Amino acid sequence: MSTHDDLTPTNDLPGVDAPAPVRETDRPAYDDDHERTPLLERFPGRGSAAAWPLGLLGVALLVGGTFLSWSYTSNVLGDLSVDFYPNGVQICMIILGLVALVMLLAHQGPLHRLGDWLDTAAAVRILGLGALAYMVITLGIIAVRSGGLINVNPGGWVSTVGALLIALSGLMLVSHQSKDPLFAQTSSWVEIITIVVLLAAVLFGATYALGTSTGGAFSLFLVFAFALAWGLAKAGFFTWVGLIAQKNRQVLMLGAFAVAFLFPFTQGGSDENMSIATQVLIFAATALGLNIVVGLAGLLDLGYIAFLGAGAYVGATMSNSAFATIGWKPPFLVVVLIGACFSAVLGLIIGSPTLRVSGDYLAIVTLAFGEIFRFTMGNLDGTNGPDLTNGPNGIPAIPELNFFGFDFGQPHEILGITIGRFANYYFLLLVIAAIIILVFTRLNNSRIGRGWVAIREDEKAAEAMGVNVFGLKLFAFAGGAFLAGMAGTVKAHHDVSVSPDQYIFLESAFLLAAVVLGGMGTVAGVLIGATILKLLPEKLRFINDYRLMIFGLVLVLMMRFRPEGLVASQRRKLEFHEDDEDLAERIEEVHLEEEEAKA
Amino acid sequence: MTVTDETPAQPTPGSPTPAVPGGAPVLEARGVTMRFGGLTAVKDVDMTVNEGEIVGLIGPNGAGKTTFFNCLTGLYKPTEGQVTLNGEVLPPKPRAVVVAGMARTFQNIRLFGNMTALENVMVGRYCRTSSMALTSILRGPKFRREEEATRARAQELLDFVGLGGSAEHLARNMPYGDQRRLEIARALATDPKLILLDEPTAGMNPQETRQASDLIFRIRDSGLAVVVIEHDMRFIFNLCDRVLCLVRGEVLVEGTPGEVQSDPRVIEAYIGGGDDDDDAPPRDDDPTTGADGIPNAPMTTEEQP
Amino acid sequence: MTAFLQAIMDGLTLGSLYALIAVGYTVVYGIVQLINFAHGEVFMIGAFGALATWTVLFKGQTGLWVLPIMILGAVIVSVLTAVIMERIAYRPLRGAPRLAPLITAIGISVFLQEAVRLFYPGAKSKLTFPEIDVVTGSAIQVGGVTVQRAALFTIGALALSAALLWFFVNRTRLGQGMQAVSQDPDTAQLMGINVNRIIVIAFALGAALAAVAGVAQGLLNSNIDFRMGFLAGLKAFTAAVLGGIGNIQGAVVGGLTLGIAESMATQFIPGQFGGSAWKDVWAFALLILVLVFRPQGLLGARVVDRA
Repeated sequence: MSTHDDLTPTNDLPGVDAPAPVRETDRPAYDDDHERTPLLERFPGRGSAAAWPLGLLGVALLVGGTFLSWSYTSNVLGDLSVDFYPNGVQICMIILGLVALVMLLAHQGPLHRLGDWLDTAAAVRILGLGALAYMVITLGIIAVRSGGLINVNPGGWVSTVGALLIALSGLMLVSHQSKDPLFAQTSSWVEIITIVVLLAAVLFGATYALGTSTGGAFSLFLVFAFALAWGLAKAGFFTWVGLIAQKNRQVLMLGAFAVAFLFPFTQGGSDENMSIATQVLIFAATALGLNIVVGLAGLLDLGYIAFLGAGAYVGATMSNSAFATIGWKPPFLVVVLIGACFSAVLGLIIGSPTLRVSGDYLAIVTLAFGEIFRFTMGNLDGTNGPDLTNGPNGIPAIPELNFFGFDFGQPHEILGITIGRFANYYFLLLVIAAIIILVFTRLNNSRIGRGWVAIREDEKAAEAMGVNVFGLKLFAFAGGAFLAGMAGTVKAHHDVSVSPDQYIFLESAFLLAAVVLGGMGTVAGVLIGATILKLLPEKLRFINDYRLMIFGLVLVLMMRFRPEGLVASQRRKLEFHEDDEDLAERIEEVHLEEEEAKA
Repeated sequence: MTVTDETPAQPTPGSPTPAVPGGAPVLEARGVTMRFGGLTAVKDVDMTVNEGEIVGLIGPNGAGKTTFFNCLTGLYKPTEGQVTLNGEVLPPKPRAVVVAGMARTFQNIRLFGNMTALENVMVGRYCRTSSMALTSILRGPKFRREEEATRARAQELLDFVGLGGSAEHLARNMPYGDQRRLEIARALATDPKLILLDEPTAGMNPQETRQASDLIFRIRDSGLAVVVIEHDMRFIFNLCDRVLCLVRGEVLVEGTPGEVQSDPRVIEAYIGGGDDDDDAPPRDDDPTTGADGIPNAPMTTEEQP
Repeated sequence: MTAFLQAIMDGLTLGSLYALIAVGYTVVYGIVQLINFAHGEVFMIGAFGALATWTVLFKGQTGLWVLPIMILGAVIVSVLTAVIMERIAYRPLRGAPRLAPLITAIGISVFLQEAVRLFYPGAKSKLTFPEIDVVTGSAIQVGGVTVQRAALFTIGALALSAALLWFFVNRTRLGQGMQAVSQDPDTAQLMGINVNRIIVIAFALGAALAAVAGVAQGLLNSNIDFRMGFLAGLKAFTAAVLGGIGNIQGAVVGGLTLGIAESMATQFIPGQFGGSAWKDVWAFALLILVLVFRPQGLLGARVVDRA
């Protein structure tokens, strides 16, 4: 018996001597619900028997309402005016209603045992409130677009009342969750099916979101997705998902790539959506590279876009463009390598002096470097320096890539589905993203990754334990530059032209925002962050002018309230909440459970 | 719940052959002097540590122990004098010193709190392993072998210090005494010839102190030389083969514990008092340790250089 | 020779501007070891504050007497911005990993720029800064060297500000409290110094000088725009590092050095790499060189690395 085990408070709490999987989980300490409990507990009718049937009635009304017409006019949010033919906006509510139904049945009824594992009351509450918000916004849009609430048809009112009833029911219900979903034992086929279903949901969601024709429908989808995710998170569902994702890493990775690969086939050759998707992918691949520097090594690189630009300029000057200034035209794969190496060398030049001094300097020096890069590219036009970059006008008319006769500019037919220009680049970028993800995850789980964590934790202690602090930092910095340079060469061809104003500081800030928003040190987080940051401005044109301001605000708020990002790396979460003992205990439990699952 | 129960005869974390105390010299410091501007913190200190020997470094507050320690570990470059390890002059760089074979612990524990115990020790293996970027990305057989070996060695060292069962626990969640032992395991992971322990029993209760002596003896028995800085006299005199007493930056007395203990100058130096400074250690009744043995604030990030 | 003196004069003007802003970086860094990245925007907001004051109260006036009130308006707006920023964004992050406040600072910086662009009438393009008697107008010729009136104002503003700052830091209780906090915040707290208040004062002090710089910039360039804080902030930070960050005299020396270096580079680097197109590049190259060869800056950073 080691000293430590004696100190672990396993069963010495009075009253918690129930059988194996139950471990002091009568209190859901891992969510922040307990802070709000007093207000919630004073809610009238709390715990009453009427709550459950009320919820069922709410689901029936919400779902029933979607089969009726919501709007008198047929030109709002698609067509909401047809009875018994729900469109996308209405289907979202059906899905939310069905999930709420499952939660209600888990609370009481056939799925009762599931309710032992999940905080069903919280889930119903959030889902109900989310549905209510969704309905109110929908009715608002109908009213604004077609002149008053008079144009809302009965179906809309029925669904709104249904959402309200679900929300009330959720506020009145008291969860009987007694077990931590972390300790749920599930068979592997359930896990794999769950992963497949979730991935399919992501694919359908992305397709639907891209397909929405109006900003209103897109905003509504965001409300829906947010309510669904938050509700399930509150229930504790994602605790379990996180665990099975760890257990079935390979399945998840393969599945995710399958989804990403299949995506262009769902677009029916729509170039508009594929163009957005490719932009998201370029952005995401670059952000993933930045995440190695920021998320793993903990170095704040504010000039990252310059490394992408360096690669792009190499790609452009060595291309077959009539404006290219270098006579040598090697094959594209060689150009990729040269671009990547050129960026990495720049990284070494910038990194080696600055990485020796305090980390704050690096941020500023990289920022200054980004500016130097931009000025220099703008200056090398023949009058202010050798003619290399064609100055502020940049290098236009970069030809399409051509791999062994495969022209990226031409559409191709695969299985009867047209794969257009953007889809071609999409597949190429997918490969690059995959390489970067591979580099990211493998470095993270290696001697080098451990060194980076140690440096982030305590640089001096790491040095005193023999970790090559400077070398590892420089490697991260130059390695990140290498990957950005690689992506840059492709970007040059994708964008058709390069010019200095594509590589301004704000772009670097955007990349950083993707990393911060999504979650430093995670792959999934950065993918989500990049998608949100690129997709929102594309789909929500009306916020376009305010987009930068909102984004600045989001950075500040994230650092204040959720510095670890939307998808948190456990380690980062710990680092940002250094004095939260409960969190540390909780994360240790999760870790122990994962280790057990692996064994 | 003694530590030794879990670690039956396992004498060798380091070199395979246990050495006899008083073998060949491992560490030799000659005429080490450290001046900060006009202040001479350490003056002309000689110290020799032989294979398989435990040497204690004592002295009142402000005697220059920590400064001398920093000269040894490469944090400071001595103004004069030199330090050799196994006959080779140590460069004044902490990492080079570790690579040369001298590892240390910290007075105020400096673990990587958000890593597990096992990962902490694996970081210690960093300088004895070599897989670089490409190997790590391609995951060839060499990488797997080395990773396996690193993990196995780290687990072995955790077992050695009696933390085998806590491998997957987060360092910051561990009890204070365990954190101290984990720091020792992390230092041992660098395969040192000599290990420097900076106040290894600070803040420990008597039982934990006994366990610590026990552990240090076992480290010595495995063939390593040990240097201990301590304030706890009883601990030092029970533990060490030889003791140096540093006062005002100079070696006042050097000898066996008996000799040093009975030397009137030592007593005078302690009672007559050196000047106060801030490297006073927390005592047994240290307020940072709660009644249940769980530290209230086990990890401090500040340390005087 | 005249060209040389002219370069010195231009450099001093530019350097005074950098120095005024750099003090803000250095004071805050000296006390909380935070690079307040958004300080450049405080400078920008100061310029807009002055313009707003003039537009609202004295539109059409050019008398010298409006200048003090414009400066006062600028100072109030800047100080308020800085203090609110400290209170809302930075204070909750004390003790967080260093990445957090840096990222917050970028967020604030973008937010402030955009807020001014969107909500200040007409700020989407450059705005004309008012001409004020005496400090703007025809340049003065001194032995072949052209001296802008606004340049004299800028240099004078730096001299006066530096003197006041010196007095404040060394001769007042608050200033001494500030020194104490920068030496050791914990001990200072135990000695009864209100550390939070000192930090707010540091932010306010930096903001006030940045506001003065904002007015000077407006007078020098006769127009202002919402982007002006970014590059100026970056240069001023370079100046602060050049002088030794955390060291107030250093900020002044660093600012002047950087300004002169920049104007010399513009004037005397021959061939294609000379001229104003490359001056910013040389300024940042200087930053990198300083970090390589003298990371503690010209006068030495006063604050030890407490990491």
